[in-house]
Amino acid sequence: MFELGDQHRMVQDMFRQWCERELLPKVPSLEKGEPPYDLMRQMLDAFGMRDALRASLKKRLSKMGDDGKPLASGDAKGKEGDELESAMRDPLISFLLVKEMSRISPGYATSFGVSTGLAGFNVMAKGTKRQIEKYGIPLVTLDKVGSWCLSEPGSGSDAFGSMRTTAKKSADGGYVLNGTKTFITNGPFADVFVLYAKLDKGDGNPNKAVHAFILERGMTGLSTGQPFDKMGMQDSPTSEVFLEDVHIPAENLLGEREKDPDAARDDTRQNLGHERSGIPAMCLGIIERCYELSMKYAKERVQFGRPILDFQAVQLKLANMYIHYQNVWNGVMRLAWAAREGKPDLAFTCAQKVYCAKAAVEVAMDSIQIHGGYGYMREYHVEKLARDAKMLELGAGTTDINLLQVVRLERERLT
Amino acid sequence: MKIAVIIKQTPDTETVVKINDAGNDIVGTGVKYVMSPYCEFAVEEALRTKEKLGGEVVVVSLGPDRVLETIRTALAMGCDRAIHLKDPAYEGGDGQATAKALAAALKTVSPDIVFAGKQAIDGDQSQVAVRVAELAGLAQATIVTALEIAADGKTAKATRRSEGGGEVVELKLPALISCEKGLNEPRYASLPGIMKAKKKEVKELKPAELGLEGQVGAAGAKAKRVKLLPLAERKAGRRIEAETPEAAAAELVRLLREEAKVL
Ligand SMILES: Cc1cc2nc3c(=O)[nH]c(=O)nc-3n(C[C@H](O)[C@H](O)[C@H](O)COP(=O)(O)OP(=O)(O)OC[C@H]3O[C@@H](n4cnc5c(N)ncnc54)[C@H](O)[C@@H]3O)c2cc1C
Repeated sequence: MFELGDQHRMVQDMFRQWCERELLPKVPSLEKGEPPYDLMRQMLDAFGMRDALRASLKKRLSKMGDDGKPLASGDAKGKEGDELESAMRDPLISFLLVKEMSRISPGYATSFGVSTGLAGFNVMAKGTKRQIEKYGIPLVTLDKVGSWCLSEPGSGSDAFGSMRTTAKKSADGGYVLNGTKTFITNGPFADVFVLYAKLDKGDGNPNKAVHAFILERGMTGLSTGQPFDKMGMQDSPTSEVFLEDVHIPAENLLGEREKDPDAARDDTRQNLGHERSGIPAMCLGIIERCYELSMKYAKERVQFGRPILDFQAVQLKLANMYIHYQNVWNGVMRLAWAAREGKPDLAFTCAQKVYCAKAAVEVAMDSIQIHGGYGYMREYHVEKLARDAKMLELGAGTTDINLLQVVRLERERLT
Repeated sequence: MKIAVIIKQTPDTETVVKINDAGNDIVGTGVKYVMSPYCEFAVEEALRTKEKLGGEVVVVSLGPDRVLETIRTALAMGCDRAIHLKDPAYEGGDGQATAKALAAALKTVSPDIVFAGKQAIDGDQSQVAVRVAELAGLAQATIVTALEIAADGKTAKATRRSEGGGEVVELKLPALISCEKGLNEPRYASLPGIMKAKKKEVKELKPAELGLEGQVGAAGAKAKRVKLLPLAERKAGRRIEAETPEAAAAELVRLLREEAKVL
């Protein structure tokens, strides 16, 4: 459980090779705003994962009821495809990919994760067969770029309570959406928007259930803003999404079933847990690279006639980085295990998210410190990792919000 | 087509290597090993040949346990099976001893075409591929940047890089091609490839099985490395100080002409 097996090591090597050879040289132009999606497609193609995903998901589709749930047929599985299938679903392999991308560009990893993971995973998990075929598979294979739209100008941490975006039932059985979403990753370029809105049944009930809807670029009334100018994650385009009387058919309600407020809330919570579980792997990538670069630099940089690694103040920083590095690895391994065993643990996930994001910021900042003035220069790369790392304390629930959730869950558990 | 590719595992170019106490080898611990980059071109060309003309790609490598990882990488890229020459007796050989073992292993495959890197990036001797071709009685083209194999698999046309120019040679197969940068863009090991690689055959062959007892490794070597020389310390660069860009450029030209004598 605490060591990568031979196959996982090979997979990690493959991801690393690609990211160092192909992604690293592209970071400057991506940070200047070049859309990253073609590169992502090339990446999945290079790993043979796009075709494999498509084949595997098509197969799943054929064994699925109209509600998107697997049919209960105990079919015998072919051996060869089987191993690849389980690899495609192996959470550790996804984490390794996220880690390797994040070593080079956490921003690129964010855009990738939001499109395939958040938007794609949501449709795969909650969609009907028709929705999985039309949106889920193209999102997971990156044929379509996805976004996941929850935050609003007036609603961040209090995502549900303060949400203003509404979906009103229309006479033809569809919905009319109005509102503004903000901080939406991939917003400027997304083809598909998995978007949360309060369902207004027109019955005057103030307790409106939050539902997810699938919107597409090109729908009348849907528009997106200019990419935001950000501190970090500059290679992940972020923008507002505007909805003005966007009329969608009933079949674009994710899952195609209206729910009562409690069930809807639980559903969305589950997705938040999923969103958070990807963050530690991103942090691991940042920490691993900062630690390696710092050690290398400290060995090479000579001041006062000796390598700066000879100074205890530098050694202590490196030891602290090592502790974070090992702890974060262990946490990622446990999250992978929990996902594989089907034992999600939301309190642990939230706590891990908090710890890893803080550790990533601390390690990246210390890494700049060890690099001295050079660390402040783009060329040495750690400044990008530090800029990007800070976002991980904000997105997927701020540090405080995750901590509060840990206590809420633990308080229930320990009664 | 029977296609073979001989590959070598070498330290990663990024690795900082240390010389051992005896002064004749590098310290192995802490070194990251990879497939020698020119061997990657060889594997890629072997796979492309198979994709065009059909057949099987057999990868052959000589070295200790750790080499298995590089062999698995080649299998994950798409090679069909492997031969691993693994035995303490193979260690410590020179180009000739290594080539003898590889040529004997290739004989068990009877390839129509063999691919190799033009050199390994550790020893940089550029000997093994050439000697293998010689020992196996194969036609050969070295430092190849482009290759066309006739559809009937009987002949090939290879473009060789030579100093400042090139050369096109026609070969009768079976032949050995030693590969140069530019020949192709090597693929990455794919996820499906990695999953399949585990089940592919890796056959170990001992010197006795090749009829080469006492003739390979240190015992079969005619040359022996006695000393490794560390890289000379690089001298610090020189900075040109001048009032204006024009003056700086003039000074640079003067230095290039009078001191560096390159103009
Ligand atoms: C680069 C980037 C990409 C993003 N991508 C997406 C995306 O794709 N989709 C999406 O929906 N959202 C996205 N977000 C939005 C992100 O999820 C929100 O920024 C986050 O949820 C915080 O909301 P807020 O910014 O409104 O801060 P606020 O909620 O206003 O919080 C401000 C401060 O108050 C604190 N605070 C608030 N409430 C409490 C409380 N009850 N107790 C203690 N402290 C509290 C917070 O911890 C924080 O420190 C993204 C954000 C960024 C920066």
